[in-house]
Amino acid sequence: MRLRLTALLALALLTPALHAETAIVLNSVDESVSFIDTRSYQETGRAPACKEPHHLMAMPDDSAVIVACAVSNELVFFDPHTGREQKRIKNISDPYQLGFSPDKTWFVANSLRLDRVDLYRASDFSLIARIPAEKTPSHMAFDKASQVVFITLQDSNEVLAIDLKTRQPAWKHPVGPTPAGIHMTPDDRYLLVGIMGADYVEVIDWRARRTIKRITTAKGAHNFLPRGDGRHVFVSNRTIKGSISLVDMQTLSLVESYDVPGGPDDMEIRADGKELWATARFARKVQVVNLEQKKISHSIRVGRSPHGVSFINHAPRQ
Amino acid sequence: MITFLTDLFVATQGWLFDRLVQPVLFALGLASYVEMGFEGIEFVLIGILELAIAYSIMRPLEALWPAERWNGRKAVRVDVLYTLLNRLGIIPLAVFALLAPAFMALDGWLRFHDMIPRQLEDWLPGLDTHPLLSFVIYLLILDFAEYWRHRLSHTFRWWWALHGIHHSQRQMSFWTDSRNHLLDDLIAGVWFAGLSLLIGVPPGHFIGLLVTLRLVENLSHTNTRLSFGRLGDYLIVGPRYHRWHHALDLPPGKRYRHGCNFAILFPFWDAIFGTLHLEQQLPPTGIHEDSAEALAARDDFWLQQRLGLVLLWRALNARRRSGAL
Repeated sequence: MRLRLTALLALALLTPALHAETAIVLNSVDESVSFIDTRSYQETGRAPACKEPHHLMAMPDDSAVIVACAVSNELVFFDPHTGREQKRIKNISDPYQLGFSPDKTWFVANSLRLDRVDLYRASDFSLIARIPAEKTPSHMAFDKASQVVFITLQDSNEVLAIDLKTRQPAWKHPVGPTPAGIHMTPDDRYLLVGIMGADYVEVIDWRARRTIKRITTAKGAHNFLPRGDGRHVFVSNRTIKGSISLVDMQTLSLVESYDVPGGPDDMEIRADGKELWATARFARKVQVVNLEQKKISHSIRVGRSPHGVSFINHAPRQ
Repeated sequence: MITFLTDLFVATQGWLFDRLVQPVLFALGLASYVEMGFEGIEFVLIGILELAIAYSIMRPLEALWPAERWNGRKAVRVDVLYTLLNRLGIIPLAVFALLAPAFMALDGWLRFHDMIPRQLEDWLPGLDTHPLLSFVIYLLILDFAEYWRHRLSHTFRWWWALHGIHHSQRQMSFWTDSRNHLLDDLIAGVWFAGLSLLIGVPPGHFIGLLVTLRLVENLSHTNTRLSFGRLGDYLIVGPRYHRWHHALDLPPGKRYRHGCNFAILFPFWDAIFGTLHLEQQLPPTGIHEDSAEALAARDDFWLQQRLGLVLLWRALNARRRSGAL
């Protein structure tokens, strides 16, 4: 009996540790999620998700990974430890890109196809406001005070600011062709915008509503992920040849770049800062970059059009 | 082996995209369409694969066990052209370009006013996590809809004016499947895509559903004596079954006045709706052309397109005069 209890206890202690090493990858075209053992770099399983899932994000407290299902109008929640589906929230109309305000008051869903931004109360996902946002609202960022959400408008080449107090559009600012990812610098001063139709990151002083700089990275500048040190941010340059650039957010300059073929898109970084994972949209792979050696250490086969990667053992989002 | 083939497919897709599509999109300021362009290449590659499968299986069937022997295959050439336009994505792309903005505007308006169309999964929630079952159910629904689209295209005079082009081929082969008037293709596209959107066909299923239907349609038009046997002909549409649909002379009986065997995939639709006709004999195919212009158009793409529009115009005028359908 004692032996059995000991064994059960050992298993209980061991299980979370094992599960904590699971990466969840969203395969947009296959409409599934892949589970990857982050130690063996092998896909261990795959589960159906929903209709046309685009983007995933972790809950701010890492209690779940949320998948946005554009065509089936729902959010699917997965346990980040086990990969098991937790729940579905229906009638979230056409969610494409998701975000929580820093104060966790707002949950924002962009509807890229339908030119709209929806504001939900984050505590219960109830719809508060629906704001027209032409054309093709893509990615989002918030100011530190959670008063403004900034949205890139991919087809009208603008950044839209929405005042979260009034729930009304506040202003628009013209940027380069086909803006995609957007990121707020840790000092809350500048917005960085990935200019996918060109080869640079546009730096906007958002209070002055003025573009102050262009940081050349590579063609297809697309998405951002902070390194976790409060100073640097990765930029994925999404083309077939592909690369990821590291930008210094204090000096607003390029530090270095890594070759990451296959259309690197969404990224995730290990807590120890040694590995960067990126979904390669056009290669059906997740590319793992060893940041010490500055090159790809593993290419992991997943489903079609991988469009999001998340694991719980990640670096701080700053 | 599967991994190797998948890698080869993905590498080819990437290479074509990198060399042909991506530079053009960036040059034209259309980076927003990068994902669509990449998936478009996949659509074309799948079309080429489909053609390769059809040719390598169905052409030998036509050579070894033909339903009828021909002196030459010149009459088939125009059908090859239709097939290339269709399978290489040119016609589907045109249909998509015409339809997508309208569908998007309607969908956007509905959802902006909190009208989210109910989808199949709202009634059968389990389908969310059972993709294979979901695929089969959507296949059944779409096949049912295709049965009625097909039957109606034989029933309404104006529609038959267009669809008759498909039936005018007297040397029916696996290439004949794509021989359709462009306007008929457009109507079929609206029908198929409209229903798919309405019932919420998962985009991930879409190509699989399309390929399944298209391969069976290729096979059913094949000029071969092959059949699936007495039982099999009731289970899936095959060459013998579909040959009666293309018969030069329809079977006798009032219920066959507009035709028989309209099913695309599953014959039970014909059985249920009283249009099934099974016979061991293999009839000659085609329609009785009664005009010089129809005879001239038999093997000519542009004349067929023109003829379809002329006949459509006449049918609509006749309808207006008589006040009938």
